[in-house]
Order: sequence, then C-alpha cells, then structure tokens
Amino acid sequence: MAPDSEPDAAPLADAVGLRTHPLTAVTTGLLFSLPAAATLVLSSLQNGRLPDLPWWLLLLVPVLLAVGGFVVGTAVGFVSWYVTTYVIDGEEVRVDSGLLFRSSRRVPYERLQSVDIAEPLLARLVGLCELRLETAGGSDSRTSLKYLRLADARALRRVLLERADGPGVEAEPGSQLGETASDTAGSTVPARERRVISHVTPARLLLGTLVSLDLAASLVLGVAVLAVLVAVDAPFAAFGAAIPFATVLLNIVSHRVAAQWDSTLTEDRRGLRIERGLFTRTTQTVPWERIQGLAVEEPVVWRRLGWARLKVDVAGYGNDAGDGSGESTSTLVPVADRERIGQIVRHVLDVRPEEMERTGPPPRSWPFAPFVWRSRWVGADAVGFVGVEGWFQRRSNVVPHHKTQSVEVRQGPLQRRLGLATLEVHTPDGPVDADGRHLLAETARAIALEQVERARRARSRAHPAPVETS
Amino acid sequence: MSTDIFRPVGEDWVPVSASLATGRRLVAMPMLALPAVAAAVVGATTSSTAVRVAATAGVVVLLVVAAVAWTWAGRNQRSWGYAEAEDDLLVTSGVLFKRLVAVPYGRMQFVDVSAGPLARRLGYATVTLHTASTETAADVPGVPTEEARRLRNRLTELGESHGAGL
Repeated sequence: MAPDSEPDAAPLADAVGLRTHPLTAVTTGLLFSLPAAATLVLSSLQNGRLPDLPWWLLLLVPVLLAVGGFVVGTAVGFVSWYVTTYVIDGEEVRVDSGLLFRSSRRVPYERLQSVDIAEPLLARLVGLCELRLETAGGSDSRTSLKYLRLADARALRRVLLERADGPGVEAEPGSQLGETASDTAGSTVPARERRVISHVTPARLLLGTLVSLDLAASLVLGVAVLAVLVAVDAPFAAFGAAIPFATVLLNIVSHRVAAQWDSTLTEDRRGLRIERGLFTRTTQTVPWERIQGLAVEEPVVWRRLGWARLKVDVAGYGNDAGDGSGESTSTLVPVADRERIGQIVRHVLDVRPEEMERTGPPPRSWPFAPFVWRSRWVGADAVGFVGVEGWFQRRSNVVPHHKTQSVEVRQGPLQRRLGLATLEVHTPDGPVDADGRHLLAETARAIALEQVERARRARSRAHPAPVETS
Repeated sequence: MSTDIFRPVGEDWVPVSASLATGRRLVAMPMLALPAVAAAVVGATTSSTAVRVAATAGVVVLLVVAAVAWTWAGRNQRSWGYAEAEDDLLVTSGVLFKRLVAVPYGRMQFVDVSAGPLARRLGYATVTLHTASTETAADVPGVPTEEARRLRNRLTELGESHGAGL
C-alpha cells in the first residue's frame, strides 16, 4: 500500500495533494478490456452468425483484444491516476486532474448535497470503491474520487458530512477528524446511533417489478411481436425486433431490480442513508437539510395492492448524464405498503397529505386531460405543499415550503378561453414535480401567492427537524 | 373570469425598454427582406408565368410574416414586466402563453447580466436569475443597461441578506 492511502492520513493531511488508490489503474484496465472483447464479438455476430473461421482463431482474437484492452486501459488509467490529486482542507475539497489540460475543481463543504459511495462489481473485487460528491447545478455537478479503499472512503465521507453540516453541530467525542478508519471499518454502523426505517426484501422487489405494468406490457408486446415474426417465418426480423424489447427489459431489470436489490433506508441525527445494489453496491448519504422534496409513486396495479414507491429530490441527483441512473439514485424505498410510505413522508417532512383540503381542476378542464383530471389535486398545510397527478402512475409530490425555489402561474390560449391556469411549485431537477394543472385561473393565482407567502414564512423559521413517530 | 390573473401583485409592473422591440425588429427584418427582394427580382426578370406567380406568392407570404413579426416584437416587449416585492422578484411575460413567476430573493443562486453587440448598442441587457431549479427560467430581456446593473447588484445583495442556502 502506498503511504498516500493510509486511512488516518487522509482526513488530516490538509493542503497536501493525495492520490487515490494505485489499483485504480488496474480497475480501469479491466473496465477497458471486457467491453473491447465484447464489442468485437457482438459486431461479428451482427451478420447473424459467427464468421467462418477456425475455432481457435475465434477464441484467440477476443482474448488478445481483452489483453490488449487491459494493457492500454491500465496505461491510460495509470496516467490519469498519477495526475489526479485531491486535497481536503478547512473549507473545501479540491480535485486536480488532467495531463495536458489541467483542471482543478473546488467543492466548498456548504455546497455538498450528498456524499455517496459506489462499489462497482469490478472495483469491489479488488476491495475498492468510488466516492461521489453531489453538488447542485449543471450537468457535471458530480465530483467523484475513483477508487479508494472502502475504509478510507468511509472515513472521508464522515469528515465531509461533518464539515458539510457546518459549525451548528457540536463535534462528538467519537467522531473527531483524526479518528482512524479502523473504528468504522467492516461495519456500516458508525459510532452514532443509526435506525432502520425500511428494508425491502428481494422477493418483494421482484414481485413489485413483475406486477408493475410497464414490465408486463413490454413483455407481452415483445412476445407478441416475436410470435408474429416467427409465424411468418422471418427469424432475422425477429432477431432485430428482439433487441429493442430486450433493451427495455434490461433497463427495467437493471434500474428497478439490480440497482435496488436489498435496499435499506436508515437514518441518524444527520440524515438519511440508502444502501442498495446487487452488483454495484451503493451507499448514499443525504443530510436532512438537503432533502428538497419527496414523491410517492403508485403504478395502477400497485394501487390495488396498496403498495407505493418513495423517491427523493436532492439537488444534483437529477443530472444523471442521460444513462437513466438518476431514477435509481433518487429512489428512497423501491416498494413498500402505502401506509408505511405515508409514515415515512410524515416522519421525514412532517407533511400530512391525507389531512389536506384538496383543490382540483374544474370539470371543464377535461379537454386537457380526459378522465385523468379527476385524480389531480393540490393542497398545503403548515409545513408543505402537495401536488398529485397521474392515473397510470399516480405521483404525489411533496415539497416542504422552505424548499420552494420559485412559484409560477402559466396560461395558454385554450386555457384562457376556459378560464383555467396552471400552477407550478419549482424544485431542483428530479422526480418531484408539484404542479396543479388546469385549475381555475383565479384559484391558481391565489394559491401561487399563498405559496409564496408560506415559503417566506417557512424560510424565516428554523428548519424543522424530523419528528418522532412510532 | 374577466379579471386578468397576470395583474400586478403589489406595485405596478416595471416595463422593459421599448428598444427590445426595435432590436428584435432589426434582427428579423433583414432576414425576411433578403429573400423577399430575391423573390421579387426573380419574379420581375423571369419569362415563365408559373415562376412569376410563385415568386409573387412568396413575396406576399414574406410580407405577411414580416408584419406579424413586427407586431409580435411590440406586443411581446410590452408583455414583459417585473416587480421587486419585499421578499420576491416577480416577473411576468408572454402574449399567447402568459406566465408569472415569483422568485424569492433567498433562493437565488446567482444573477447574470448579458448583452450582445446589438443590445449594447441599443442600451439594454438580459437579466437572468438562477435558482437551484431549472424550471424557474426567470430571464428578463430588454432591461435598460443601467437598470440591469442596479438590479443585479440589488438582487445579489438581497440574495445574500435573505440567503437560505439550498
């Protein structure tokens, strides 16, 4: 082990550039080699079958490619590892990287939105993990340190979260900066008390995914198309048609099943922690103050069963670089009983949607949303604003008043004719989207102005802490 | 439903500079005039009746578009308004699709002032407010340069004193 990666050196060595773990290069090499070989195999398969070559050549070429990819990847990984250093000092985390184009990124602690640890399968094999720092803003708001030893990453996370919390929180004896990682290594429970809010068993998760309509629909549609194509004797077309369906299925399975496997939501004094994942194990830590809103999702079949899914809005989580990972990142509880989800919403934000007075769109708004208009409503209580919409997948959006970013009233020409307007309560990009669509125009304006006032009052009060529920 | 729901909340809306309409017309008119002149020249010099009819139709269409763009620039400019309330900046805009957005000072992350060469010449700038939400989309075009600078400084100041983090 390089002295750089000594656990107790990391938090203390202010202003000294540290490097990530040297095995990072090897991990990058592995990440290069497998896709290189897989791409070749897939591209030769695209003609429908294997090329007409001796068997040893068929085996040798991918192996050579994998080895070549590994060597190149390791070399690239070594250079990028060598030129990347990070500094943790009194005010910020700084990451310097780049060989030709040097870049230096600074993350002030007060801008930290969440600190996540991801253990991708390959890195996990060599005992490493990635530390992700989420900040609000732009599409590259995520700063990641690849790869660190798990114990180092945990120690760093603790330091960062402590500093992100600001001076308002007194330092505990057991959590001083110089504390070595050995205290926490091998255990997910730090010195402070950590309480389990929810745990989803794999069986429940699989069942929930199976009865969600999008999976069923894509399965049925896929099988039907395949059956027709095979029936008319067009196997090649069937092969081609299978690819998009397989992609959709793979997407659902990877984001809803693999990414949410063994998902556990816990809390401590500082905030929420999600631990999840089958192949890539991810641990996300969100301080209480960084929760921008919650969304309860109920797909139509789940409503019959009384099940729901809970998502969270955290600034920075919404920017997922287009790979759909935002969906899994922002999921707090992949599936649970509706009552339990309601309790969690009440516990985390102290908002009670079921007790609110509901304002819905008038019947004459039906041209905008036939049938569905009935299920839409907005409401507010002393703590939060709620907007509910959707029939195929009902989503109840909950925004604490003090997290209201801005409030908008909109009206298009057709809405003007019908005397309607749409109200929006803006939150950072993410699953939460608290809108009141096609309300009576004057009502929309009145609610918007009330919301502005509620947000003002809530900001001037101290931020509410989570409440105790049984 | 006769009352305007986009009426001022407290004080009257502060209008934006009429030069905004001038600027937009200065951009749009040459873009429409060039093809119109080209079509007119083709129509005048050609010997084929079909081409002449098509060219005339083209000129007429471009003239109509120009007239619409001309009035749109004026109406859109007049539709913009902002008001500095005690705790929020209110912005209204739009002719067909109207909106009114209220941005609390304490939620502003930063304020941008930008002006292109033409806008600088005509003496106006675009003030953009950024919150943590991209939906806020509060940019006010056509604010007179001096006023834009004052507004930015004022908003930054208010943002700091009302600052509520994220």
